[in-house]
Amino acid sequence: MYANERPVEIFQRSRSGPFMKEIEFDLMVAKRAQELVREYDVKYDPQLLCPADDEMADRVFEAGVQLFLDVGVYHLDTQRVIRFDRGEVMDALRQAPSTLYLGEGKDMVIATNRGVEDPTPSLNLTGPAGQACSEEHYLKMLISYAQEPYVDAIESGATLTYNGYDIVAGTMMEVKAVQRDSATAREAVRRVGKPGMHIGDCATGMTAVGKMAASDPVNGLRPCDGRLVAQMCELKTDDDQLIRIPHLLQYGTHPINLMTPLTGGVGGNPAGVSVVSVAEFLLGVICYFASYHYLSITHIKWTNNSDPWGMYVLAMTGQAMARNTHLVYTCDPFTMCGPCTDELLYEVAGHAIIAEVCGYHQHGVGSTGGNIVDHHTGLEAGFQGEVGLATTRAGITREQASEIALRLLPKYEDTFENPKRGKPFAEAYDLKTITPTQEWQDCYRRVKEELTKLGLAFVQGPYD
Amino acid sequence: MPESGVPKNIAEKLGETLFQGDKAAAMAATQEALASGIDPLALVQEVIIPSLVEVGRRFEALEIFLPELMQAGDVGSACSKLIEEELVKCGGEMRVAGVVVIGTVKGDIHDIGKNIVISLFKAHGYKVIDLGRDVSAIAFVEAAEANHDDVIAASTLMSITRAGCREVAGLLRELNLNDKYHFIVGGGSLDQVYADEIGADGYAPTAAGAVELVKLLMSN
Repeated sequence: MYANERPVEIFQRSRSGPFMKEIEFDLMVAKRAQELVREYDVKYDPQLLCPADDEMADRVFEAGVQLFLDVGVYHLDTQRVIRFDRGEVMDALRQAPSTLYLGEGKDMVIATNRGVEDPTPSLNLTGPAGQACSEEHYLKMLISYAQEPYVDAIESGATLTYNGYDIVAGTMMEVKAVQRDSATAREAVRRVGKPGMHIGDCATGMTAVGKMAASDPVNGLRPCDGRLVAQMCELKTDDDQLIRIPHLLQYGTHPINLMTPLTGGVGGNPAGVSVVSVAEFLLGVICYFASYHYLSITHIKWTNNSDPWGMYVLAMTGQAMARNTHLVYTCDPFTMCGPCTDELLYEVAGHAIIAEVCGYHQHGVGSTGGNIVDHHTGLEAGFQGEVGLATTRAGITREQASEIALRLLPKYEDTFENPKRGKPFAEAYDLKTITPTQEWQDCYRRVKEELTKLGLAFVQGPYD
Repeated sequence: MPESGVPKNIAEKLGETLFQGDKAAAMAATQEALASGIDPLALVQEVIIPSLVEVGRRFEALEIFLPELMQAGDVGSACSKLIEEELVKCGGEMRVAGVVVIGTVKGDIHDIGKNIVISLFKAHGYKVIDLGRDVSAIAFVEAAEANHDDVIAASTLMSITRAGCREVAGLLRELNLNDKYHFIVGGGSLDQVYADEIGADGYAPTAAGAVELVKLLMSN
């Protein structure tokens, strides 16, 4: 199939594929994922957060491919299943990019496919990870990310109001807010002297019309930027997501495949969720024409991924994709705790170390699990990039990553039931100078010192 | 009239099939129990509801995963349907703890949290009218009016769509229906502060909490 025929074919199949109630699809995915876990002998050991088992990683990949072929993609509007055959999947995978040019001019970065324990450090594409932000502080908050020395690109938060009024999805208020927020992101990168820095999305846009409203080569998102196209859990899409694709391709920008597999969700146990996650990469390749893929694992109860389930899924899915594809992909830490707590930085560190050795570029951060307005700052995002680099510089192996993550876990796992939400941006930063408060900088130094003792090789950081 | 009370062996057999999510076996066990003259209501009150509540507890405690919860809910609904048919035949009717109209608000298509809440409401004997995802404020109200509803429950995961909850609350007030229904909200982007701000009757941070909240509101 020619790539330019694929959208038409996807549309046709979304109208003619087998009809199925949604719950039947969910149960089919759940059952088949667990069958494949057994068939391909995928094991989860809570004491091994980052298994160093190449053969198992390959089996996870094969199981994920088989799951995708067996269950297909559920189209929520038509309640029909879109199926692909192996040849179509492999052909789309072959055509997917392995090298990306993100941003423009002197601020452009090159994102390449990374391998397991790759000596080339990851990029750090970061921001408030689509989480709730107030319009009051949004520009300064984005500047706090863009100015960080270990940040290569910024992502976006989602503001809640426009001139004090609620933003309602699918209305002119959404479009107005998207126009404002994409211009705010553009202004943020300009203010820090990096006008060509890649901007990953405008998350205030929820609907297709909102997302498309960000396309504006002067004041908004340029072709060198990107836009998220999301999957619904698990392996589901709809017309609102698919509508974006022809627009993004025509605009010449990067479609980003957003996957949010739920640990404890339809995929079930962590082994099953790893298999489902691989299948979700394939959905992004074939249906979304993704430039890069963004794995945002979510715990079904706590909405974080700094727990053992989340880190195992991160490790196995990453290794499966690194060893068997040439894709470029990112992942984000979603934490329980918030700014001005050591715990947040330990949660970020465990995730970032495993991501670094499993083929990912860094993305994020979803501080407080994305649950609290304005509880996200540039410091933790820059820190994530710094940890990634320190991991690679130290030549950390998967075995060591697993051991370090296990040693970090007791420093924060007690907060899962009673999270330390920390402080909002306006209290964690001096708003005049847009710098972290002494308290927040002290947390950074303390945690960095601990990580150095565990073997990470940091260089000079912004708050040392 | 059928005898009341459920013999232990029958309760255990049906309960086990619910835990296992074995629809065929559960329906067979239900039919067998009904054929032996067991009170249909006792079957619901003493076996199906407690079993599903236990499944919900295990899910909340992370002892089982979502598919097991969904499967048990699906099996429980199938058994309840059989029992309801039997009750109607006998001239009776199924007692429900309350009627809940639920959906994700306009613009929000994320409904896994809502579906978990539905499973737990059903487990506790509530009749649930599921409006699905991306539901307008007026659709909530119309469904409540059409179904002699007790509770309207609006869910939203995304912060950007939470204004949909405010629209429902506003419409209920505008139509003078705010005293007629208990309006509750939940979902990842909400908290008690926002619920109070929009004038909702309650907010629950968890699925189990939503059931407790409704019990409390309805007891008042």
